[in-house]
Parts: sequence; structure tokens; C-alpha cells
Amino acid sequence: MTSSPPIRLTGLAKQFAKLRAVDGLDLTVQRGEVVALLGPNGAGKSTTIDLLLGLSTPTAGTAELFGGAPRGAVVAGRVGAMLQGGALLPTTTVAESVALVAAAHRHPLPVAEAMERAGVTAFAKQKVARLSGGQLQRARFAVAIVSDPELLILDEPTAAMDVEGRRAFWTSMHELTDAGRTVVFATHYLDEADAFADRVVMMSRGRVVADGTPAEVKAVVAGRTVGVTLRAPAGDLEQRLRADPAVQHVEVRGERLRVATTDSDAVLRLLLAERADAHDIEVTARTMDDAFLALTAAETEEASR
Amino acid sequence: MNPRYVARDALRQLRNVRSVVFTFVVPIAMLLIFGTAYGSGSAVDPATRLPWLVETTIQMGGYGAMMAGLSQAFAIVNERSIGWNRQLRLTPLTGTSYLVSKVVAALAVAAISITAVVLVSVLGLHAHLGAGAWFAAGLGLWIGIVPFALIAILIGQFARPDFAQPLFMVTFLGLSILGGLWVPLSILPSWMGDVARAVPSYWLNRLGQLGASGSGDVLTPALVLAAWTVALAALITWRYRHDAARA
Repeated sequence: MTSSPPIRLTGLAKQFAKLRAVDGLDLTVQRGEVVALLGPNGAGKSTTIDLLLGLSTPTAGTAELFGGAPRGAVVAGRVGAMLQGGALLPTTTVAESVALVAAAHRHPLPVAEAMERAGVTAFAKQKVARLSGGQLQRARFAVAIVSDPELLILDEPTAAMDVEGRRAFWTSMHELTDAGRTVVFATHYLDEADAFADRVVMMSRGRVVADGTPAEVKAVVAGRTVGVTLRAPAGDLEQRLRADPAVQHVEVRGERLRVATTDSDAVLRLLLAERADAHDIEVTARTMDDAFLALTAAETEEASR
Repeated sequence: MNPRYVARDALRQLRNVRSVVFTFVVPIAMLLIFGTAYGSGSAVDPATRLPWLVETTIQMGGYGAMMAGLSQAFAIVNERSIGWNRQLRLTPLTGTSYLVSKVVAALAVAAISITAVVLVSVLGLHAHLGAGAWFAAGLGLWIGIVPFALIAILIGQFARPDFAQPLFMVTFLGLSILGGLWVPLSILPSWMGDVARAVPSYWLNRLGQLGASGSGDVLTPALVLAAWTVALAALITWRYRHDAARA
């Protein structure tokens, strides 16, 4: 029982009318991990979260929390979640909202303690409708932690927050997760995934495209771009580059060749050894955003082939 | 079943003063208009042998109570559209507890609405009826609104937010007029009386009248309303399972 991982997704898939939102997802999250689900809008993050919480039924595969059906973990109060659009009742105060959800749980934290931990005590008596974006997210966070869950699922928790609000939010998050809690949060902020997660799972088109520590994922995604001008046509060089597993993307525009790669040294060696006509060579580091777009583009390319 | 949540949700709805007041403002206004017209005199409706004023009071009490019941539709549609239901589905709360919480909230609001109408009638218009009879009439109306809360839940399950308002209005006006809550059926054409027997609001009114007169066949209205309750509950359960399976 204790050895069952908080989350285990096996071949998980969800088909909507024409869209395969989640497409054969395998993912296991171990106890104490703080995992960022990173991906652009439409990558399937929210659908994955709905499936793993048992809010929707998978078309194929299974979602298990703590080795059992998601509902079991929900009923036991072992999982708390901040959903996208999971809003609070506008005419209710923050304290009432937390108390309502606490009343629905079997062994909740004292309402005052949950509010204290989430940092909402100062505006506990305010109506939800009158909260700022950041305050509302914190109130929802208080609701998510009121069952004192071992696993926290946060779907874009810092949406609608400014930079300062985001930092404050993650600070209180970290105080909570020091107690060995498992956290999975969805985000499309690359810097947030990098700064606050100890594991980053990148999703695109309903599948995992990269999974590792932030450093590893960055190494995969934040490769370099090698630009080179060739006097003669690229010929079989282009094919050889494409066949290299370290090369993610090759673009030919007239004489100019642009190669997105995780191993720019190897690409350079190949270029210099094979082509005496290579000149104007330029190696640039990509930002995570560029890399992310490249990776998603590569996926799209493959799919359309 | 989770009594703590059910109680809290009812309390929350009671705290929403505007929506509670809304359930008895119109009935009291109508009571004052019709009641003053009838006067507190001893004129009696031959059909029920109740003074016209008492009969009107019961109609208006039923009208307000029914509004308390049916307006749960708005609560549910609203909660669904802002995603509060999804939040609740992340708690041990069962679908049944959620539905019971809406019925209990309806009963809590209805209790206030019925009491307000009766108090205005007794204190303002000096309607004559014993305290026990008033209590029995109020109790009849109060228990009788359970199927109306279930109709509201059904509307809440089916209707999209933009469609809930017209659906509520049609249901509400239809039940009010056909059930004889606005105008006593005894002064309407007799065919209306036949139609009335098909709608639960007629039996709600009957239950109130029987409580006030303290005699007569209580079993029929009780059975009709119970049948409505069972049928609606079955429909709601079916719909709930259908929705859950499709998610």
C-alpha cells in the first residue's frame, strides 16, 4: 500500500468527438516529487488532470492514484486539486467557501489553519466576487489543501497572477511541500517549471515528448541552432543530418541551412569535415521557448508525414 | 449522506438575504392586494369551507414556498456553470448528498417564506384561524414542496445557463396558474379544475387547505405528491448516472 506511487497513468487516452486530447500517456509520479506538466494550450494537460482525478473516464488505459481508482483517493482526502475554471461561489466569502468544502471532507484541517497555510487569512471575510485574480487563486488553493492531501494537483495555479504574486504563491507552496507532499502542476510558463519543479514532463498533442529533471529537459529542449551557408547544394548532407538522432530539425532556405540540435559540436565537426564550402557558421543558444516551439513543430512535422 | 455539508449549504443560502426575500415579496404583495379585496370578513369559499382570506393566504404561502423550491434550479445551474460542482466532485460528497442539500436548502428558505406570508396575513390582515390550524397548513405547504425542489434539480441538470431562466418562468407560471395558486380554482371554469388535478401545485395547495380546515382526505394529496417525488427522484438519478457515464 505504502509502495504504490501517488500517480500511475498507463496507456491513458481520451478521445473527444474528433480530437484525441490524450494519446497513450504513460507516467508514474513518485512520492515527494514536484512535477511540472509543461505544454502549450491544447497539449492535453487539463484533460490529463481530469482523467487522473476521475472527473472524466478514459477512452483507453488506466489512471491510478495510490494504487487504486482515483475516486478512492478523493474520498479518502488524499488528493487536493486546483482546477482550471474550478471557481468558488461569488456570493460566498473565502472563509465560507473553505468551510463548505471542509464540511464535505471526512478529516479536514481546521478551516483557520487551511486559510493560514494558503495565506488568505487577511481577506477571509471578503466575498469571492470581490477578490483580485491573485487572491482568488490563493482562496482556491486554500480549498484544495483543506483535506490535508498527500497529493496536490494544480492546473495552471498562477494564471492571472503578476510576477510578484507568482513568487509569493510558490513560496507558500514550498512551505507545504516540505512535508513530503507530492505536487503536480500544469503550466505553460517555462521559467515556472524550471524554477519550481524537480521534474518536468513536457506534453504535446496528448503525449509526453520529454521527461526529466529541469536540467535534463533543458538539455533536450534548449539545444543550439547551427546556421551555415553552403556554396554548393546541400545534397545528401541534409539527409545525413536528419538521420542524426541529436538533430531535431533541419531547415533549408536557399543556400542557408539551419540545424536545431542538442549536439552542436558533432554537427560542426561533420560540417567542417565534409564541406569545404561551409562558411558564415553561426552557433546560437536557443531560449527554452524557441526549443519548445521547435520540439512541437518537429512533432507536427512527424504527424503530417 | 453528509449532514455537515447539507446544513452548511442551507445556511449559506439563507445568508443570501436577497434571494430569500425574493421568495416572499411577490406573494405578500399579492396577498395584500387580494386579501384587502376579500376583507377579513367571514365570507367562506363553499368548496373548501375556508374563509377566502385564509384560502388566499395558503395560496400565497404555497406560491412563495414553490418559488423557494423551484429557484434551486438557479443555484444549481449557477454552481454548474462556474465549476463549483467540479470542486465538490473532488470531495467525498456523493451525488445524493448534493441533491439532498438542495432539497434542505429549499425547505429552509420555504420555511421563512411561509412564515412571513402567514404572519402578514394574521398581523396585517387579521385573518381568523387557530394557531394549530395555521401550523398544520404551513406544515402541509412546507413538506409539500419537496417535489418542487426535485423539479428544480431536474431543470438544473438539463438546462444550459441561458435556457434556465425561461424554463423556470414557464414551469413556475404554469404551476402557479394551473395549480390555482394565483386565483382560487372555484372561481375559474370547471375544466381548469380537471387540469389542475394533474399538476403537483394543486395538491400542494390542497395539502395547505386540509391543514387549515383540519379535516378531509389528506391521503390523496400526500400520495400524489409522494408519487411525483418518487418519479422525479428516479428521473434525476437516471440523468445523473447518464451524465457520469458520458464524462
